[in-house]
Amino acid sequence: MLKLQRLSLRMMALKPQRLHNIAETTSQSVAKRVRTMTTESSMKDAFAKYTDYLNHLNEKRERVVKASRDITINSKKVIFQVHRISKHNKEEVLQKAEKDLADVTDRYISRLVKELQGTDFWKLRRAYSPGVQEYVEAATFCKFCRTGTLLNLDEMNATLLPLSDPSLEPLQINVLDYLLGLADLTGELMRLAIGRISDGELDFAKKICEFVREIYRELTLVVPFMDDSHDMKTKMDTMLQSVMKIENACFGVHVRGSEYMPLLGSDDPTSFLSGVPDVEI
Amino acid sequence: MPGGEAHAAPLLEKQFEDFRAQLEESGTLRERIRAVVMEIESTTRLIHSSLLLVHQSRSTPEVLEKPLAQIGVLKDLYNRLAKIVLESPGRYYRYHGDWKTETQTVVSLLAFVHWLETGALLLHTEAEEKLGLNDSEFRLDVEDYLVGICFMSKELPRYVVNQVTAGDYDCPRKVLKFLTDLHAGFRMLNLRNDFLRKTFDGMKYDLRRVEEVYYDVKIRGLTANGDPVVDQGAPAQS
Repeated sequence: MLKLQRLSLRMMALKPQRLHNIAETTSQSVAKRVRTMTTESSMKDAFAKYTDYLNHLNEKRERVVKASRDITINSKKVIFQVHRISKHNKEEVLQKAEKDLADVTDRYISRLVKELQGTDFWKLRRAYSPGVQEYVEAATFCKFCRTGTLLNLDEMNATLLPLSDPSLEPLQINVLDYLLGLADLTGELMRLAIGRISDGELDFAKKICEFVREIYRELTLVVPFMDDSHDMKTKMDTMLQSVMKIENACFGVHVRGSEYMPLLGSDDPTSFLSGVPDVEI
Repeated sequence: MPGGEAHAAPLLEKQFEDFRAQLEESGTLRERIRAVVMEIESTTRLIHSSLLLVHQSRSTPEVLEKPLAQIGVLKDLYNRLAKIVLESPGRYYRYHGDWKTETQTVVSLLAFVHWLETGALLLHTEAEEKLGLNDSEFRLDVEDYLVGICFMSKELPRYVVNQVTAGDYDCPRKVLKFLTDLHAGFRMLNLRNDFLRKTFDGMKYDLRRVEEVYYDVKIRGLTANGDPVVDQGAPAQS
């Protein structure tokens, strides 16, 4: 480098007649050429490797995104099915919902299981997280309507174990996706509670109210520790809105319902409608 | 509704307690990771500032002395980081975001040092070697490496300008050749619309700037004549 600099400085000084030193320059440039040629081909080889790596990764990501989307669509269908619940068809509706959910697990979650191994679980999390959250929502929703309790993460993960080959690493839903799914669950429970109130199932609605409050309360303690808590914080705000909507609806029935019920004196569910304040859903 | 709430509520509480414990644990882990990453960051700042002397027409070996010594420090830091992350398997990418940006900078500096030393591109495997990660399960992410290389190219236009000012008229030709090859390499990649793509898109401006400098030098007859590479690497295509 020093020599080169000195050389070029000298050449600058002798600019008009700088065709000297040719021997030195050419021998230098030959050496340089040899070197650039080898680096060029190793660079090409290296970039060919990077290309393979990126292609492979992107294709996999694409498949994971597709699987995630299918999980979302079909989990939504399960949730809609659960919403078709009413006083008299509970068993029938839930059976269908549970069957559909099992279908989502077998057909779509299993596709995810096949794609994800080792470091993929976290590397591709963003690609599959929406689907898994929706799935958590659907599964916990079904379970609550069936038993009135929360489906635990461990229980959920246990149902996923049989999907994968024992030799492979099983897909395990992580805490973060589970909690994010749970946050969305409260929105569905709010809709369900409002529906149940207009259907006259006050006890059910109260039960939902207690359950949602409990989840909200527990989550307030956990959210500060979550990795990317920004997403979760907005969900918490929405959740509080949902909790309050249920509470207000229960309040409306409690205050006015008690006046109307004995007056109307029937168990005709429509009678409650007059007693319930307008609730935005 | 079965009336199982009596024992259901404590169960619910128990699960959330477990979550809290788990998340707190991963929070402490992240703090440990961040502590190392901060050291990595301050080391890269040292390297970067010593490398800036290259623009002040100091001789290359002199400039490289400090950065080369600091690379050993980086290696130790990455070993510590790897140890922490590998305490339990498979979670490299869970915390990847915590060292991603810093590592991209590290790669860009390593690559620049390597280029100043040898005139060649620092390959992914070589970068891992320099950081002592080649045998570890803790690897250098390929995308981080590629982003780092794009960052390095940003340094080159400035380098060329200052080298020419200092009287090294052969420099633009070398840099142009290198950058053209590098750009061609990147064009082989099928990129998604992500950060890497955006960063790579900036490389063509570096390339253009170097071409301009090369053109300026060449048209004034300042380059050494008779070098065959000149004709091939003509700045016509861009």
